[in-house]
Amino acid sequence: MNQQADKRPWLLENSYEIGDFFDEMFAGDSNPHRHYEPIYEQLRDLSRESFEERRRQADIAFLYQGITFTVYNKEDEGIERIFPFDLIPRIIPHQEWDFLERGLTQRVTALNLFLHDIYHEQRIIREGLIPPELIFGAKHFRREMIGIHPPRNVYAHIVGSDLVRDRNGEYLVLEDNLRSPSGVSYMLENRQAMKRTFPNLFQKYEVRPNEHYPQELLATLRSVAPHDMPDPTVVLLTPGIYNSAYFEHTFLARQMGIEIVEGRDLVVHDNHVYTRTTRGLKPVDVIYRRIDDEFIDPLSFNHDSMLGVSGLLNAYRAGNVTLANAIGTGVADDKAVYAFVPEIIRFYLSEEPILQNVPTYLAMRDEDRKYILDHLDSLVVKSVNESGGYGMLVGTQSTQAERDRFRELIRIAPRNFIAQPTVSLSRHPTYQDGELYGCHVDLRPYILCGEEVRIVPGGLTRVALRKGSLVVNSSQGGGSKDTWVLGK
Amino acid sequence: MLSRVADALYWMSRYVERAEDITRILTVNFHSLLDAPVEAAEAAWQPIIAITGDEERYRQCYQEYNARNVSEFLLWNPHNPNAVTTCISLARENARSVREQISSEMWENLNRLYFLVRDLDRDEARRSGPYEFFDQIRYGSWAFQGITAETMTHGDGYEFIQLGKMMERSDKTIRTLDVKYAAVNQLTEGPEASLQLIVLLRSCSAFEAFRKTGASVLQSGRVAQFLLLDQEFPRAVGFCLNRALRSINSISGIAGSDAVRQPHQLNNPQRQIGRICADLDYLNIEEILDHRMHPFLDGLLLRINLVGDDITRTFFNTQVILPGRSQQPAQQQQQ
Repeated sequence: MNQQADKRPWLLENSYEIGDFFDEMFAGDSNPHRHYEPIYEQLRDLSRESFEERRRQADIAFLYQGITFTVYNKEDEGIERIFPFDLIPRIIPHQEWDFLERGLTQRVTALNLFLHDIYHEQRIIREGLIPPELIFGAKHFRREMIGIHPPRNVYAHIVGSDLVRDRNGEYLVLEDNLRSPSGVSYMLENRQAMKRTFPNLFQKYEVRPNEHYPQELLATLRSVAPHDMPDPTVVLLTPGIYNSAYFEHTFLARQMGIEIVEGRDLVVHDNHVYTRTTRGLKPVDVIYRRIDDEFIDPLSFNHDSMLGVSGLLNAYRAGNVTLANAIGTGVADDKAVYAFVPEIIRFYLSEEPILQNVPTYLAMRDEDRKYILDHLDSLVVKSVNESGGYGMLVGTQSTQAERDRFRELIRIAPRNFIAQPTVSLSRHPTYQDGELYGCHVDLRPYILCGEEVRIVPGGLTRVALRKGSLVVNSSQGGGSKDTWVLGK
Repeated sequence: MLSRVADALYWMSRYVERAEDITRILTVNFHSLLDAPVEAAEAAWQPIIAITGDEERYRQCYQEYNARNVSEFLLWNPHNPNAVTTCISLARENARSVREQISSEMWENLNRLYFLVRDLDRDEARRSGPYEFFDQIRYGSWAFQGITAETMTHGDGYEFIQLGKMMERSDKTIRTLDVKYAAVNQLTEGPEASLQLIVLLRSCSAFEAFRKTGASVLQSGRVAQFLLLDQEFPRAVGFCLNRALRSINSISGIAGSDAVRQPHQLNNPQRQIGRICADLDYLNIEEILDHRMHPFLDGLLLRINLVGDDITRTFFNTQVILPGRSQQPAQQQQQ
């Protein structure tokens, strides 16, 4: 290794370690994968000062544009932070993307068929493929949805599935997000930042654009308007300025040229939804809602909700308004239902799943539970109802006290827990505090389902910035990278 | 435009204007009392609180009227919902809730003003006199108005901002005139009366403008006429209400001359504010001088407040009115 030291870029002078992981950039030692060669060369020729300067400019741009998210903890009322951005892009060759695109399309198509089935005939339960208690006991199953026909039978219009790569570089689905996945604004802003910072690099690669995501989203939302109306009014419903993703809500509304509304801006009259404007009530046809099911209609769900719209569910049931995503989609991203997705694909599509799941043990199954309790120190235990990296036990990094607590929790409510072996997530070189080291990454592509399934190439690559950390969530110290899908 | 957004813009603007007006009234009085006899101070400070209409609340907090108490009450007393610091915070809160509807420059300016007010060293301000602080607030407010005019689209949102400003300003000019006119009237003509009239004019930034109208004598009737009826001075009530009407017409989508031709299409704010403007246009100032001034101004203030309620009902509380149910809520924010 020492003989090569003079050829190493300054970035790698502190001997970059690949470790026992799949590395997105390097095949072995300091030989980059072929699709990373141009960027490797560019970085090698760049001085540290020049790199630092670009990095500083990118950070400032994010700050000035207010690209922030809010973290809430118990004592504080919320802190605004920049979502850390890493300058070295993640690159996906085109044949790899083709594979992902086919796999995701298949998966989301099957999940929408599944949602339609469990809110109608419930064939999959009657044929014994999924135990009824798994569905009816799911926190996000909504019996109010039974018998409702959403336009084009689409329930989950916007899906963010989290993909990871194991030690061999194989892509696995870690979880699906079918309620209101966030983060897409970072995907778009990251690209803008990269274009400003490294314009030359784009000339060496044929990077497929992602800027058209808002237009694709709008087209998707318009395509699911009630009664196939030609020129529907679409609005984005936000919980308001204190929501951690408020920046993203305003960003998307602006990009789509639609109104951003709060619950109090909407009123339901005679099963039709209207916005209150200074010139009277204006009808609304499609609502891209970023409010959870529980809060969307105080008459039907959480009665204390100040965020929702009274009577919205009735207007929805009457077919006068489309909600994207539909109510009750969360049953399909329940972490216990997740274990059945390969079965779901086979059942509805009669196809073999293209993308694999991470092996999953269900605590509700006796033999699985026994295995989980015997291997708490090596498994990752997840609460099925939590997201954002909360309610998790990472066995290898846990204390005895934490394991005992989870042991007790699992005994009390086995339905609420699943466990997975620790996946050695792939790593990607990331520049932090003056050095380059491998950080674990995942990938969240955004899948749009309307008239057809559309996926803007790429997605959000999240990075676990803390050395050795496996958690990529923004609320848990994660950052992100631009994600390049190559055209050839 | 969304009613909620219009509501927030309107109140954002009112609060900025209110902060500026209160600051100006304070500044002028500070200045005029520097060379006044000490025993006159009590009598001079009491009317300031009368202008803001918060006398009761003031008496709950303080025993006597003096420079220190009055400034503290008007600038940052947390029990005073109309304190300058509170006004700036509320303006910022309203702006924050419609952050995407205003220009970044407006937000930045208001934010800066907020931090300035919040982080002010109050002990230092007490020691060295509050002039610098007053100046910063007034310049902040002017900058805000300039930035608004130059960086925001002059659409409905802009008109709501103008409307809020004009409604607030006409309210404050009337209150100032009411209190000061009564004070001047108790005096016989002489240097003291002139001094008070100058203070009145300065409280409305109107001294130089008044002088330029060619009025050679400082006489209370002339001053009242100027502050009430002038159509060119931006703090005169007549000017404010005409501008407010223009904004309301624009927001309602019926422009000036059309509005007169199609009276059946007018909404309540248009009708009410139009009537007030007409009353002022045809007013003979002689009819309201001396002891008739206070009842007249009181009535005018009441009518303007009712216009405020009408604006709220017409533009901000859009709702489905079912047969047999009456409209209820009026202005939600602190009047």
